[in-house]
Amino acid sequence: MSPANLSRRTAENFIIEAVGLGKTYGTLRALADVSVRVPPGTIGLLGPNGAGKSTFLKCLLNLETPTTGSAKVLGVDIRARNRASREKVGYSPEQDCHIAGMAGCEYVTYCGQLSGMPFRQARQRTHEILDLVGMGQERYRLVDTYSTGMKQRVKLAQALVHDPEIVFLDEPTNGLDPSGREHILQLIGSLWKDLGISVVMCSHLLRDIERVCDRVMIIGHGRLLEHDSILALKSRHRRIVEIAPASETERFQTVLTSAGLTVVKLSNGKLRVESASDSIEWVLELMRAHGLPPAEIVSNPDALHELFIKSISADHG
Amino acid sequence: MDSSLDLSRWREAPRGVAYRRWCIVATGLRQLLRTRYFKFLLSVAWSGGLMIAVAGFAFSQSLASGGWLENFAVRLGPRAEAVFTVITGLVAMFPDVVVHGVFTLIFWAHSFLGLWLSLLALTVLVPQLITRDRGSNALIVYLARPLTSTDYLLGKLGIIVGVLVLVWTGPMLCGWLLSMLFATDRDFIVYSFSPLLRALLFNGIALVALAAIALGVSALGRKTQVATIVWIGLWLVLGGMAAPPLAPDWIKRASFTRDLYEVRQEVFRLDTALSDAAAQLPLLDQRFVTNLAAAGKKAEPTDFNGALAGLGIFVVASSFVFFRKLRPE
Repeated sequence: MSPANLSRRTAENFIIEAVGLGKTYGTLRALADVSVRVPPGTIGLLGPNGAGKSTFLKCLLNLETPTTGSAKVLGVDIRARNRASREKVGYSPEQDCHIAGMAGCEYVTYCGQLSGMPFRQARQRTHEILDLVGMGQERYRLVDTYSTGMKQRVKLAQALVHDPEIVFLDEPTNGLDPSGREHILQLIGSLWKDLGISVVMCSHLLRDIERVCDRVMIIGHGRLLEHDSILALKSRHRRIVEIAPASETERFQTVLTSAGLTVVKLSNGKLRVESASDSIEWVLELMRAHGLPPAEIVSNPDALHELFIKSISADHG
Repeated sequence: MDSSLDLSRWREAPRGVAYRRWCIVATGLRQLLRTRYFKFLLSVAWSGGLMIAVAGFAFSQSLASGGWLENFAVRLGPRAEAVFTVITGLVAMFPDVVVHGVFTLIFWAHSFLGLWLSLLALTVLVPQLITRDRGSNALIVYLARPLTSTDYLLGKLGIIVGVLVLVWTGPMLCGWLLSMLFATDRDFIVYSFSPLLRALLFNGIALVALAAIALGVSALGRKTQVATIVWIGLWLVLGGMAAPPLAPDWIKRASFTRDLYEVRQEVFRLDTALSDAAAQLPLLDQRFVTNLAAAGKKAEPTDFNGALAGLGIFVVASSFVFFRKLRPE
């Protein structure tokens, strides 16, 4: 089933609508005049430290009172209908947070109840979600005794237990080991695809965002610098193809150069060329024509990174 | 990313805010009820309630002719029988003074036990209320859900109310109800009702004051040890400083336990009950009459307005603290 069928929201029903949203702490402007309309999907929120990403999320959740502007989450005004605006929203904050003195499954069940779920349903969903985030028998242990990775999983579980329509995840892979990170990223990617739950994911790890998200918002100095789909953003960027030949690197380089391309040999042995299009069909065609050995070909490998740097630099400028 | 999620959906309308607040209360109480310490306090509290029931029941049997109390007195000898006859006569002739006086005394005495147990229970509860939530950043967990800081506070307040009902109001009410269930005359119900209402009034005042102070102390810091030390300091250290009769008034008013003692004397009016007994009952033993009047004089409140002002300041200061500190960090 496609997300469009699963979700009651369509692209026209924006999950977030902010108009002139701003937040100041004394003289410090943490968020300045953010106006944005975000369609459902998996959205990455990027920005350097202190850029205002978390403040933006906190304002949307009413954890911080916006100084200026207004916002709607899932079509509900966050100021006029404070409680209702968070009924179908899940939030996994960046910092460690839990209710002490509770076992994992008890904690997640309680969170479900706090969102208005009856106990029985909350308990059932809790076990399903804890299975999903990869927690075994640890769920019966006190949350206080959990490792950082387990706390991260239980944070994600409490954000999902009440079956939200949108979930805000602030650095959800922090403190996870590589396999745990892989597992959680897969889960986050599936939330929209399989369940129609929109995800707004805040992360410093551009590769995570690129891998999971279909849209990106870049925030710098409290201002929204970019907001578009990853595909559109990449198409605005110069197209790069990285080729890692299995063998005969020199012949690869000669063929590419004779085809009129500027080839840069990277220190890791890969060849980097600028492409005229997003497609890598032309590389395959060249390889076929010259009988070149197999190679790993990656299109736009660091496009998001470069775009991010460019946006931030432009903002500084 | 081809994983497909095997997960049930929950698409019902969420339950209302009253349910969510109740969840905070019920979960807080459940956590507390797991501890041995609180179970012990509960057993003491309900033993107190049982004692009210036994005392009230035994007293009400004084009017039962041929009842077990009379038979018991007869078995003890002529002196006990004479005392029993006098009590029976006094209860029959002056139910407004005797029943009212005895139940005032019972509830007055029980208020000491109830308050003491409540303070002991709050010593364990205070660090768990808000301090622990602040220490583990749990406020975000609450406030990122369809709850406001007022809902959170009401939930925490509900836990305090629940504790006080379990260790104080509940045993007292149940004790009275049980004793009235077997009362031999409706006078016992009629004339014990006013002392019961006074006991409930004092219970209510103590609840408001203790709840505000407990929430304020609990919201003060992020470390549970700090909350416990501040609570014990306010209760025992200031209480100890205010205990000497010659302590200055401002120190007395700075102790909430001393303030509650003054309020108790004013609300129960034990002095009036004792003076009325001394003045109205036809007691032959003049020394007993003098002692009753002296005890009544001693039970008079001395600084009710000051105590009330002291409690008011505690409540306002505590409210200021918990409203100010209740923002997610």
